[in-house]
Amino acid sequence: MVAVLKSQGAPNQAEFHEVISNRSDRWYSACLKITRNRDLAEDAVQDALLNAWNKRHQFDRSARLDTWIHRIAINAALQLLRKSRPGVFEPLETEVEGPAPTPENVRADEELGESLAAALTHLSEIERVCFILKHLEQWRLKEIADEIDSNVGAVKQAIFRAVRKLRVHMARLKGESL
Amino acid sequence: MNDDEQKLCHELDLAREIPVPADMQRRWHDSIDRAAQQEYSVRQEPARPFHFTSFFWGAAVTAALVAGIGIGAYLTGGPTTIQPNSYVVQDISTVSGAVPGAFTRGLQVHLRDTQQNIASMPIDTTEDRTLLVLQIIQQNRLFERAAEQNSSDDLARVLRAFEPILLRLAANDIAPTDAQALRDQLAFELKIMLTKLERDTSKDTQST
Repeated sequence: MVAVLKSQGAPNQAEFHEVISNRSDRWYSACLKITRNRDLAEDAVQDALLNAWNKRHQFDRSARLDTWIHRIAINAALQLLRKSRPGVFEPLETEVEGPAPTPENVRADEELGESLAAALTHLSEIERVCFILKHLEQWRLKEIADEIDSNVGAVKQAIFRAVRKLRVHMARLKGESL
Repeated sequence: MNDDEQKLCHELDLAREIPVPADMQRRWHDSIDRAAQQEYSVRQEPARPFHFTSFFWGAAVTAALVAGIGIGAYLTGGPTTIQPNSYVVQDISTVSGAVPGAFTRGLQVHLRDTQQNIASMPIDTTEDRTLLVLQIIQQNRLFERAAEQNSSDDLARVLRAFEPILLRLAANDIAPTDAQALRDQLAFELKIMLTKLERDTSKDTQST
């Protein structure tokens, strides 16, 4: 956006439209991977945008608007996931497979792509969320633990299990393709 | 992340971006427009705080005036009937009849200019396009305000509805195909509005 439109203060309407046009693929992808639900991912981005618009006066111009909205969208996705399935982030003592796929999951998986969707179905909710936040979003363990009201040990454990399951899954896939 | 985990993420294509469906993205654009619109209308009607001092002085002046008029009426002997000033009434009707006509003609000129500017607008040169759109927005706001002052709320609302489309067209990184689509949308809306205005004007001319 040219200087005339980019004000020094809070980001304006045109800047919001600009980031929606250019960066919403990234926000949507991240929310879809976290929620595995198309509607929840859409709602998360929508909530994030309205939240960001209402708090735009708090936005620090030294940061990037799209990164700021991205972070808000992730938090919104986690919040919506927690609301739709209470207790979803409680640490599991035993090894479990991912929950049975719902029609919403199937629709979301079509968008996620074959290999990623197939791999994610083997993970429990907490394993998937912790794995994605750590390896895709590069969050620190402490940040993940705080966000899902857990502790660093439980997060580490969830990521460890996720990686192990994914390795097994990928090895099986490679074996089948040989 | 160790090499093994990095390899795993790569195999999973974890960082792949999933394109947002166009209708979903449009809903997000609309939600920002609605939020901005809502804020704008709230700002137009700010809540006025109650000032006790002003209220006190206002009440005191009113009381003094009422007392003055009462004494005056008593001294001149009996109540007087206030006749409406026919000159003022006539004057107001003339003005209210003349302003919308001039306003409509001005608006038609503005809309026709906008139509031409948008048709000849450079799609690839972003800065020129943005400056031109900003000028149109400025003009549009003037007419919007004038419509509000003329109590043409519907017209003001229609003019206001152009602004989000114009703002999107002014964006720096908009793809040429999107800019073209917005330009077509604007051209279509302007054509409808001009046709409607012209029809209304000819109806007025026939009836007089």
